[in-house]
Amino acid sequence: MGEITVNTPGLSAESTQASPGFWRRLVRTPNGFIGLLIVTILIVCAFGADFLAPYNPTKMGSGPRFLPPGSDFLLGTDEFGRDMLSRILYGSRLTLLIGAVAVGISLTAGMLLGMVAAYCRGWIETVLMRSADILFSFTETLIALACVAVLGPSLQNAVLAVSIAGIPFYARTCYSASLVEVSKPYFEASIAAGAGPFRMVFHHLLPNVLPTMIVVATLGVSTAILAAAGLSFLGLGAQPPTPEWGYMLAGSRDYINRAPWLMTIPGIAIAITVLGFNLLGDGFRTALDPKERDR
Amino acid sequence: MLSFLAGRLTMGLLTVFVTTILVTLLIHLVPGDPVQIMYAQSQGTTPEQMEEVRKSLGLDKPIPVQYFMFVGRLLEGDLGYTIRGGQPVLDVILQRLPNTIVLAVAAMAIAILIGVPIGFFAAYKQGTIWDVTLMITAIAGISMPHFWLGLILLFYFAVDLGWLPVSGGGPLNLVLPAVTLGLSNAAIFARLTRSSMIDVLSQDFVQTAIAKGLPQKLVLRRHVLRAGLIPIITMMGLQFAFMMGGAIVVENIFSWNGVGRMAVEAIFQRDYPIIQGFILTFAVVVVIVSIMLDAVYAFIDPRIRRS
Repeated sequence: MGEITVNTPGLSAESTQASPGFWRRLVRTPNGFIGLLIVTILIVCAFGADFLAPYNPTKMGSGPRFLPPGSDFLLGTDEFGRDMLSRILYGSRLTLLIGAVAVGISLTAGMLLGMVAAYCRGWIETVLMRSADILFSFTETLIALACVAVLGPSLQNAVLAVSIAGIPFYARTCYSASLVEVSKPYFEASIAAGAGPFRMVFHHLLPNVLPTMIVVATLGVSTAILAAAGLSFLGLGAQPPTPEWGYMLAGSRDYINRAPWLMTIPGIAIAITVLGFNLLGDGFRTALDPKERDR
Repeated sequence: MLSFLAGRLTMGLLTVFVTTILVTLLIHLVPGDPVQIMYAQSQGTTPEQMEEVRKSLGLDKPIPVQYFMFVGRLLEGDLGYTIRGGQPVLDVILQRLPNTIVLAVAAMAIAILIGVPIGFFAAYKQGTIWDVTLMITAIAGISMPHFWLGLILLFYFAVDLGWLPVSGGGPLNLVLPAVTLGLSNAAIFARLTRSSMIDVLSQDFVQTAIAKGLPQKLVLRRHVLRAGLIPIITMMGLQFAFMMGGAIVVENIFSWNGVGRMAVEAIFQRDYPIIQGFILTFAVVVVIVSIMLDAVYAFIDPRIRRS
């Protein structure tokens, strides 16, 4: 098929995959390096929790109650004598899963809506993007809260709520990235060469907006993790005895005087995770953006 | 300028209109029978009483009829009655809304007073160790969960040092929640200010002002700061909505008696009329604030004022 593909410099998928310099550029930026390091450690913790955790994370009475961090229990024990280190390790698995599922759902739905709006134009564009604007102005917290109010408190529902709440943001971002592509000459040329709507959206638009969306999604993982942990903190997400970090933080409030490590440790875990994805997203952006490349 | 404001006003009304539809549908999206779920926690409710509640909520009628009933009552200032206690929802919300608004405004003030100068300074020192340090601090600040920050502040200043009360409704009680919410948003303002100022610094009129020999301080104050603040004002509306959202969590940490705490309690109690009222109130407040900020923006930016 007489198909014309024009490569857009820098931000097209082909050039990023083809250029072996991408990962090297990523680790050369301080943000990208530290972010990649944190996220790698997290993934190792999440996958290796079964081997790394010294105790069962939900078994009560693994040790005495309220044992401060020490040699037997590296991060101490909680109000039920559960090992904090094991709970944190299994918590990392949950946290990464929450981030991945939530961003996966909102990214897929948001990108579809954004690309369709930019490709179709006309009334479809107006309806889709006005709706996204309206929902966006509600903020993710309110949408997530409304979803949990409808579905009822549970970890699954909290993740679903965070996913739905994220859709307007990804739709808007993907829409503006798609608009740039749609106005480029290669796009018109491909239509003129006879490419159908399906091919235009998935074969031309998708690979070209993907790098931008990967940056946004990496940053979005931290937002999703924070939002889900916030819901669990309020008691609207993970339920006992799940070793979820936000829920663990909420429980620590009652023992704030007696066992401050119950508050510090899950908090540090969330903060480092979120920081890792924020830094990695920043690093991706610098490594992908030709304007930032030479700085 | 008028057409700009008219456009914003239309968008605001559209937002409120869509919210009323969503809020009416909310109760129907609940899996199962909403009335049974609402009363699942209270014993001794007879089926007749439930039927009465169903009627009073209008759930026995078709959805479009329910919608017009809802809007009709809304226009009379009637948001329905709470399931627990049977108080008018509007009264319950209006009683607590000022607390949330005070918290959000105080937090906004803290965020701006800390974030904008830091961002301005970082932009001025762009590329130096000052800039790098401040921006790393800002990223760390954004990554810090505000519910954790709240707990830490609570632990040190209220429990450990005993300087501030743990919970309550007085002016001193406002300090910790406002600082918690303000600090986590200060980081966002710092990043925003920095990129906005860097944009302005590289523009021709600034270069010209420096080239024609104006004192640096004058250029920074009159040219850079003024032009650089415009995008920040446009972002303030969205930030205010984030503050309202963040207030939901922060109010619960510090037992601050605002609408956010009320909403979370209502979710636990399945008190749907309160949840509906809360969502609607949230949307209306956010719309009013953003239209007010748009008016300020239109007045400040000469490109819009003179159009």
